[in-house]
Amino acid sequence: MRANKAITGLLGCSALLCFVMGVAGTGAAVADEGFTFHLDPLVIENLYTDVDTESAKFEEYRDLGTGFRLRQLDLFGESEALDREMELKLRNAGRDDARYMFDYERIGKYGLYVDYNKIPHRFGNDGRILHVRTGPGRWEIADPVQQAIQDDILAAPTVDFAFLDGLIQPYLAAEADVDLGLRRDRTLARIDLAKDRTVSWMLELTHENRVGTRPFGASFGFNNVEELPEPIDYDTSGALVRGEWVGQKSALQFGLRQSIFENNISTLVWDNAFRATDSSGGSAYLAPSGSSRDGSATGFADLAPDNEALSFFVSGRTRFASNWWANGNASYIQMTQDEPLLPYTLNSSIEGVDHETGATFQATDVTALPVRNADTQVDVLSLSGDAGTAFGEDWSLTFHARYYDYSNDSPRIEFPGYVRYHAVWEEIARVTVPYAYTKQNLGAELAWDVTDTTNLALEYDLESWDREFREIESSDQDSVKLSLDSRPNQQVSVRASYELVDRSIGEYLTEAQEFSFVEPEGINNQPGLRKYDEAAKDSDIYSVLVQFFPADVWSVSFNLSGQKDDYPESEFGLLSDEVKQYGAEVSFTPGARSSFYLFGHLAERDVFQKARQSGGSLSTSPADDWTIAFDESNDMWGLGWTGRPAEDWTFDVTTRWSKSDGGADFTTFGGTPSSGRPNGQAVDIDNYEDIELLDVTFKVDWAVSERFGATFWYAYEDYTIDSFILQGLRNYLPGALLLNADNGDYTANIFGVQMKFSF
Amino acid sequence: MSRVRLVTCAAAILVVGWVLARPEAARAVPSAPAASDAAMVSWGDCGDCHDVLAAELGSTHHGRVGFAMKSDRGCETCHGAVGTTAAHMDDPENPEFQPRMDKLSTEQQNATCLSCHENGNRLFWHGSKHEGRDVGCLSCHSVHSSQSEDGQLQAASQTEQCFSCHKDIRADIWKTSHHPIREGKISCTDCHNPHGAQSPKMVNAVSVNEQCYSCHTEKRGPFLWDHAPVRESCLNCHTPHGSNHLKLQRTSVPFLCQQCHSNTRHPGTLYDGFVVPTLENPETGSNRLFNRACLDCHAAIHGSNHPSSPYLGH
Repeated sequence: MRANKAITGLLGCSALLCFVMGVAGTGAAVADEGFTFHLDPLVIENLYTDVDTESAKFEEYRDLGTGFRLRQLDLFGESEALDREMELKLRNAGRDDARYMFDYERIGKYGLYVDYNKIPHRFGNDGRILHVRTGPGRWEIADPVQQAIQDDILAAPTVDFAFLDGLIQPYLAAEADVDLGLRRDRTLARIDLAKDRTVSWMLELTHENRVGTRPFGASFGFNNVEELPEPIDYDTSGALVRGEWVGQKSALQFGLRQSIFENNISTLVWDNAFRATDSSGGSAYLAPSGSSRDGSATGFADLAPDNEALSFFVSGRTRFASNWWANGNASYIQMTQDEPLLPYTLNSSIEGVDHETGATFQATDVTALPVRNADTQVDVLSLSGDAGTAFGEDWSLTFHARYYDYSNDSPRIEFPGYVRYHAVWEEIARVTVPYAYTKQNLGAELAWDVTDTTNLALEYDLESWDREFREIESSDQDSVKLSLDSRPNQQVSVRASYELVDRSIGEYLTEAQEFSFVEPEGINNQPGLRKYDEAAKDSDIYSVLVQFFPADVWSVSFNLSGQKDDYPESEFGLLSDEVKQYGAEVSFTPGARSSFYLFGHLAERDVFQKARQSGGSLSTSPADDWTIAFDESNDMWGLGWTGRPAEDWTFDVTTRWSKSDGGADFTTFGGTPSSGRPNGQAVDIDNYEDIELLDVTFKVDWAVSERFGATFWYAYEDYTIDSFILQGLRNYLPGALLLNADNGDYTANIFGVQMKFSF
Repeated sequence: MSRVRLVTCAAAILVVGWVLARPEAARAVPSAPAASDAAMVSWGDCGDCHDVLAAELGSTHHGRVGFAMKSDRGCETCHGAVGTTAAHMDDPENPEFQPRMDKLSTEQQNATCLSCHENGNRLFWHGSKHEGRDVGCLSCHSVHSSQSEDGQLQAASQTEQCFSCHKDIRADIWKTSHHPIREGKISCTDCHNPHGAQSPKMVNAVSVNEQCYSCHTEKRGPFLWDHAPVRESCLNCHTPHGSNHLKLQRTSVPFLCQQCHSNTRHPGTLYDGFVVPTLENPETGSNRLFNRACLDCHAAIHGSNHPSSPYLGH
């Protein structure tokens, strides 16, 4: 890590030096020759926003709050000697979604580009929790509250929903609201040297700080599911040095890239709402319930560890013989992570037991761990190349090959057991599993220019996987694709393709689930289940895009695409997934004063999967099977109309409407999962994500003079979501203390007035 | 042998046989129209007649005076010297002598642009998917009348340009879970290189995961406890262009997890409408179905560094 930081430091110093040289050069230019600047445009805007709810969805990735903003500033300058240019661009200056860009170029010699981009990401507003953040990674509940809740639970004759609901609600009502959201502050600085010369260099430095919170699962057990805001304070720094040589027939790029991720809050510690004092028991992971009221007073999580990646790459292309060309890339990437490990638990009542010796140890003692650091490392070697030639009058042939090796050199670390849900020591020895794989592609494409305007191509690809520590150690996937591209005349364009994919697999190792166990525990996954990412698969993929340009003022297009994946050897899990999409678009531009477009897009997706309900032992009864057939439809429509009723006036109307309607149809066959259900039948879910968004924007531009203009705009947005996964959420559902942050329905009216200046 | 391989082998045999039986004819590599000092004309000469085009060009990189530092050939830099120029000026209405780019083939148009722009991220243009499907520089870019702030594109923005062909993706980004593409905070080229790449789907990195890690560095690991499908491809669970399910999931949790896990006890349990909670009757709800579902307990689904987390809990 230290050596790599030194590389980053060196690169940083180099960048700074170049920047200073560049600025010094600029100063001289200004002093000696002067710059001529153009400000075009400067746009100042006043917004008035009215939203009927606190939904975070409205401003998920943007800042549209009422008030002034500097919407746009573009300043361009060039030196009198015409050898230097600079450009400054500001967008939404001062806002949470602001972006600032600066570009300076000494033509033919060097260029400097700096980009600062703020990206908000709001997850939900007005969440409610019992906890208060008392430190960077610490959520606490006031001790008297925690103790009082524990006392009430221990004293209660029955712990059920009604009791817990009544117990928790008064405390929750007294708590403040919590908004969840992140902001990325991204900075990029790039220096290009001799960009248009035979040999050129590029240095790029990046830094991103991510700060905020996002929802996090912080459960204490099956009956004590908690959600908390995960505190985020990430720094990611990157550096890239790239050299390039461009010759008459060949070119070469080579470089070094480094990325360092640092998490400034590496551990999260939070109080248990239902326990003020540590305790443990055989069923503590089920607490609070009739079977246990034990558990840990605090939970803790190891948040994303610091890590880094260092990569070298060489890329090149050449033309050789009379009409051959070849491209290639070789990359080596090393990813490492060596964070200190946390102890098994913070629950002081838990003793660990060595499964081999029977010796006991304090599970909170970090020295009891077999190792103190993660010490993981992955080396990736990626080699790829393609080559091709043209032959005959109308034919070309291309070959491609790729080799991607993900080699996991992390040690296998054996742990004598683990603490389940911060509550119970499980004397089940586990060992880490360094997954690794190699993926290889080999293929060719034959293309035929049927006519001067029509091309037909046939492509074949063989993709082979070799894996370590997974159910499928080897698989081969063949795909063949036929493509047609034709523009028989200026009025018609056709692009179409059809691809057939067939993945065959070797032996499926159901025992793979035991690779992380030191001693076999017994296979408890359905032997007929095939994980879909590895399973045998047949796919049909097609795409058609037809565009008509019957006249200069008209264009019409139709598109159709689809993909059907079947998993013929899978008895459980995902069995099929099919999507079909259709679209049409028309645009009409009768003259310089008016244009109009309309488009529609319809998509249907059908997914089918199957499972079997088991208890403590694996069911072999088909009666315990159940299936889901998902049906999702997504419709989207859009229109735009731009008109110029007078020389100085322009109006613009745009509308987008998207609607998703999904359903999940369940089927049972009379076994265990049917019990307790009305008429012994599974109950379908009709609101499998039903979402609608309407967005209408109306804008009027008034060009008052050559240097001044005004724009008035209004936007209406209406968002509704009816989701099975979010409906009826309430604290305290049995075993769930939820954040319940609002990212649901909203209706918004936004008015904007812009003044635009040019100098 | 699979049906696909069988068909492909048969086709390959036919093709190879046909190629071997046919005498090879070298194919001329198209190149940019050549400039010649003798025939060179100035910006002004062209602008005298093509004032609108010249004005439009003036607001672009190619039209700025600094462009003269890179080329002293003015319009001829791209349009070539027209031994035909003189003829064109003598007979401007004769289409035969008009040095219009749209008269050239896509390959010739590309060659013109690449004569200056073959460096940087255009390294792999030759052999790229777009080139192979006859998408040329001028399919997306407009030198004279671009509509975009950057990149001299025909459409108003980079995303709109890509959507002119990739219409399915346009619908995807309007789904409720999406990257900030429609808000303009990232664009297609943050992940893809439309000018060609050695990776599948023309992503900028050598694999999908390396691409995702460039922004989601906290998920890069390697972790003490890894989730194998995560390491193989983020796309196993996520669909990057848009989804109606939380966190760009392909299918909503818990059903997404159940597409691979059907073990004893809760992984194989039926979570149907019967256990969806309602405000009127909240106690029927299962905490494994609502909100973050499986992820409330398996919070470290991308990998964990915690010694007590072989099940990716915390």
